[in-house]
Parts: sequence; structure tokens; C-alpha cells
Amino acid sequence: MAAIRKSGGVVVYYWDGDLPAPADAAFAQALAGRRFRTIEHATSEEVSVGWVTPADPTGDSFDAEDLEGGAGTWLRFRIDKKVLPKKWLQIHRDAAEKSRGKKLSARERRELKDDLSDKLLPRVLPTIQLVDALLFHDRRTLLLFATSKGAREAFAKLFFESFALPLDRANPLRCGLRAALGREADAALERLVPVRWPRGDDAPQPPRRRAAGEAAAAATEEVDA
Amino acid sequence: MSTQADGSETHGWLGEEFLTWLWFRWETDGGEFPLPGGRVVGIALDDFLSFAAPSDDDTEQTLRRGLPTRTAEARTALRQGHRLRKARLLIAEGSRQWTTTLDAPTLTCTGVRLPEDAEECESEADRTADRTANWYALHEIVQLLYASFLRERLRPDYLQTVGEQHARWMAS
Repeated sequence: MAAIRKSGGVVVYYWDGDLPAPADAAFAQALAGRRFRTIEHATSEEVSVGWVTPADPTGDSFDAEDLEGGAGTWLRFRIDKKVLPKKWLQIHRDAAEKSRGKKLSARERRELKDDLSDKLLPRVLPTIQLVDALLFHDRRTLLLFATSKGAREAFAKLFFESFALPLDRANPLRCGLRAALGREADAALERLVPVRWPRGDDAPQPPRRRAAGEAAAAATEEVDA
Repeated sequence: MSTQADGSETHGWLGEEFLTWLWFRWETDGGEFPLPGGRVVGIALDDFLSFAAPSDDDTEQTLRRGLPTRTAEARTALRQGHRLRKARLLIAEGSRQWTTTLDAPTLTCTGVRLPEDAEECESEADRTADRTANWYALHEIVQLLYASFLRERLRPDYLQTVGEQHARWMAS
């Protein structure tokens, strides 16, 4: 089994509530409950999303040692997609139109697609995407190694379906509230509005050309619309 | 889940203020940031800057390669009151060095490069443990720097103190 990645993008999530400890059987059971299921032999266009482990890409086993990631728990999920190749559909459609000498109607195009799906999809292999995440149980923090909207949404849904806990994506407000700055600071943070830095002619001049107090007056706050 | 379409509900603009503050501190204080526990991290802005458009009618400006923080375009953007939206950062603590592009409104790190694997790593499991520690350390450093920024930003006299210095730096 190769080591976890050392480059790329990462999205941070937090959760509230009780998550089984990764060493507990309940954790592995939750993963197994939403394990990956293959669509290799599917005869229709499908997407399958489910848990696997870094050591076993099939989703058949969830041994605790396969999830070990040092200080964190190494999770992996798999997204398989089976779709009818557009270029094959276009080739068949062009051939049909050429032999008839006219364009296909909408109904004929639909029938052609259905016919091709029945013939081709059993022979089409799904595309495979494996996405990793590191879970830090004590810190209620999760690092997802994918930044695309599709992967993020699939992961959040899978996590919720597995553990009945919603994930909160990190953002400046959430991170500020987690920084343990105190109740007064938290209240001030929630009320905070952006600084409108002086622009162009309003900008304060360097100290030699303008008194310090005037620069302060120029840095005013505006209400966030 | 939080709505993050434009970042207004999640204080996305505050992330931009944070990233601009990092630049301000780097230039005015030398780029060493003390963290709790006696830790010190070094921060520098590297070869990619993207300024937020102040409004829908304004242009977003991106500067790449070389030393974009030294360019006239960057100084002009600051003088115009633009906040940084994204920047490539070099982060160092002890012998470890990370590079990442920080997307300020979401505090998301993209294009991360972790420090080299520790020499004592002898197996893939060792490497995974080492990298896991480095991934978490990067997250923790960003969070601690952000908390440092917030301690200044949330002071009642912010506009008369650090905000004043920040405004002068942007206008310089």
C-alpha cells in the first residue's frame, strides 16, 4: 500500500456530535454500511459512491489496520461512473442520418440512444475516482483531499449517510468561532463588518505628507450588504 | 451545511482581510509569526497573487511569476483598497517548509507541497504517518495565524491602532 499523498488541495471540515472512535467496531460497521458497490456490469448509466480502504479498493473489508494514518484515520471513498460514450453515439447517429439522407427526429434519436445503451453499456467500463480524507477524531476535524464541487458534495452526503452527522466546511466565520477567543470576541466576530480601505484619492498619504489621525479616519467600516 | 456561494454568510471577506494582513505583517515585521507554545513560523508571499474585485463592476487582478508583491500593479491595487483573494505562500517552521495557495474566502489550501519526508521514514506506513502529521501541521498553522489576526482585528480600538498602520501600509 502506497503512502498517503504529499501534495494537492485540501478542504477542511468539522463536525459536532458523537462520532464512533475509529478503533471501535461501530466505526467500521458504519463504513461497511455504505461500502462501495461495483457497477462494472451495469447495463444503464449509473454512478456508485461508497467507502473502500487504501488497502482494498473493492469495499469488501474495513480492517482497522487499513485505516491507520499515524495521528489521523485514513479514509478513502470511491466514485465510479458509467456513461454512454458520447463519441460512439455521435458516430452511430451520423451513420444513420447519412444512410437515410436526412436528420433523425427527436424520437428516432432517443430510440437510437436507447438501442446503443443496451448494446454498449455492458461493455463500457466505469471511470474510477479514489478520494482520500484524514479524520482527526479528537479534534473533530477532517481533511478532504479533493476540492471539486462534485467530490465535496459526494463526500458530505456519504459521511452523513454513514454517521448521521452533517459536516461543516471551514470558513472564516466557523474557524473564528472555533479559535476559542472568548464569548465577547465571538459576539464581536459575528457582528463584524468589512473594513473599507481608502481607495485612490481617499487613500491616506505617507506619514510625512499627512497627519496620522487622518489616515485612521479614512479607514472606516461599512455594513456588509 | 453553510451557504458559501458568495462568502457573505461565512465572512469570506474576513479571510481576504486575513491574507492581506499576512502580507502587511510580512513586509512590516519581517515575516516571523509567534504562535502559542513558543513556536515561530516564517511566512512569505511567493509568485502568485490574486486581488479580490471590490464589487461586481470591478476587475479581478491576478499577478503571476517573479516577485509580484514588488510590482507597481500590486502597489496600485493596495492603494485602491483591494484585498488579497488568493496568494501562494511559503510557510516554514524549523526545518519543515510548506508551499500552498490559500483561497482566502474559504480558507482552503490548494496546490500544497508538504515538506520532504523525514529521513527516518523506512516504510510506507512511516511515510504516511509523517505526511499525516505535516498535513495537520499545515492546517494548524493556518488556523493559529488566523486566530492571531482575529485577536488584533477584534480589538475595539483596531481602527485606531493596527488598522491605522495597515491603512498607511496600503497607501504607501
